Amino acid sequence: MNKLYLGGIIFTALMLILTYLSVGGSKGGLNDDIVNMLAITGAVALVIITVFVVIKYVRQMQIDSATGELVDENWDGIGEYKNSVPTGWAVMFLLTMVWGMWYWTIGYPVNAYSQIGEYNEDVTVHNAKFEAQYKDITGDRLVEMGESLFLAECKVCHGINADGIDGKAANLNKRIDAASVKHVLEKGSNNKLMGMETPMPDRSGLFNANTGALITDAEIDTVSAYVANGMSGEGADIFAGACSMCHGADGKGMEFVAPNIAAYTPALVSTVLTHGKKGSIGVMPKFERLNDKQKEAVGAYITNISK
Amino acid sequence: MFHWLEKHPFFFAVGVFLVISFAGLIEILPSFAQASRPVIGTAPYSTLELAGRHVYIKNSCNACHSQLVRPFKSETDRYGHYSLSGEYAYDRPFLWGSKRTGPDLMRVGNYRTTDWHENHMKDPASVVPGSIMPAYRWMFTKKADIDTAFAEQLTVANYFSVPYNQPVPMKDGSTAVVKLGNSVAEANTIALEEAKVIAADMKDQDVKDAVARGEIPEIVALIAYLNSLK
Repeated sequence: MNKLYLGGIIFTALMLILTYLSVGGSKGGLNDDIVNMLAITGAVALVIITVFVVIKYVRQMQIDSATGELVDENWDGIGEYKNSVPTGWAVMFLLTMVWGMWYWTIGYPVNAYSQIGEYNEDVTVHNAKFEAQYKDITGDRLVEMGESLFLAECKVCHGINADGIDGKAANLNKRIDAASVKHVLEKGSNNKLMGMETPMPDRSGLFNANTGALITDAEIDTVSAYVANGMSGEGADIFAGACSMCHGADGKGMEFVAPNIAAYTPALVSTVLTHGKKGSIGVMPKFERLNDKQKEAVGAYITNISK
Repeated sequence: MFHWLEKHPFFFAVGVFLVISFAGLIEILPSFAQASRPVIGTAPYSTLELAGRHVYIKNSCNACHSQLVRPFKSETDRYGHYSLSGEYAYDRPFLWGSKRTGPDLMRVGNYRTTDWHENHMKDPASVVPGSIMPAYRWMFTKKADIDTAFAEQLTVANYFSVPYNQPVPMKDGSTAVVKLGNSVAEANTIALEEAKVIAADMKDQDVKDAVARGEIPEIVALIAYLNSLK
């Protein structure tokens, strides 16, 4: 018998004995545990197969002689046979090419990850959810939504209590303050965005019907205080004479003519949020980031707190 | 040819390099060039804005404030549209920042105003209760460095072809022209004109007086810069 086979058999036996010793000596050992038995069977099979496969190829190297046609090149005396490509390789190669064409034309372009794409999907999903959840929201819930939006977006300038932080922004707890009324009386106001057909004139166009003359400085001060005071106190006669023909006797305004200056309206708040405004205090930026429902909610909140 | 290449590893390596570089060139360069072009609505900084940008950098605003809105719903809700590469075309250097102790300022010009910035820089906690931002009162008295801003404008106009004195397309379809002075004196005049517009919306009498005298406090330049961030 060849020495190689003898060595192989001895090596196999040695490995099997070592396996038996190490398993037999370990905790659990060779009892009836099916998993242990399977593992040991596997180990035994592996040892035997490995040894005899190795022996086969070593034998082949010892006794085989090479035949076949060599390719033209040789590298420092090392040559290469002309062999046909194994069928399995060839098939895999062709399949890879087919997959490559699919990936190039459809796979990548259609399925590629895009951060912006994911963002757009997020926004669509969010907007649809918002729309579904808050479509019919009204009353107190709308005011609550307005409050949370106010605290997120508006409080930075108008303050947590909507008091305008000492005149840094408009005090929203009341419709209008005297300085703003005075500012508008002196400079006029273009109310086109509110749907008014003609702008309010500046003081050179404001007549007091009671006196039949242009409004005076003293009258401006008095009527400003009157409007700021919630349409009460001194100045009712001046308001009736100079303002009421457009703003109404109660200051609630008229459609297409003049806005409500007695109380906030959701439409006014929405318009200001959409376009921003420039008033006596300064510039308010527009808030494009709010959707229509949110603007309505802020309008409801402000109307509510300024009652 | 392949047999020849197999025998000449150096030229084989050169060939591999060329093939891979070509792929890189046609895949990466065009989209990179496209993305770094200024987007419509991005205009070069005016003299005063650039001086304000220097104030921003000098006071390390970028240590606490980023200028990069990421494409997440939570960020775009708060700060506006996510940032595009082309919007930084005229930023040298860009001020993305890496940490937000304060909010992002990429588009602060859209939702804060001159008078708000004035109140805020003077006493942050008075407009944002609980704010940990320090007050920057010295900006109301120190003078902005218009000469350096002009020098930078001149440099970028000459060496990077930044389009000063040329029409730049804006988002609404119109064009804007950012003026660049011919001399230091003219640059100072242009900056002062811009400063007057800003000061008109401010309340601080000392600042108004300074601008009326022809001086430009740092705060005016900084607000001009912040208002330009849109």
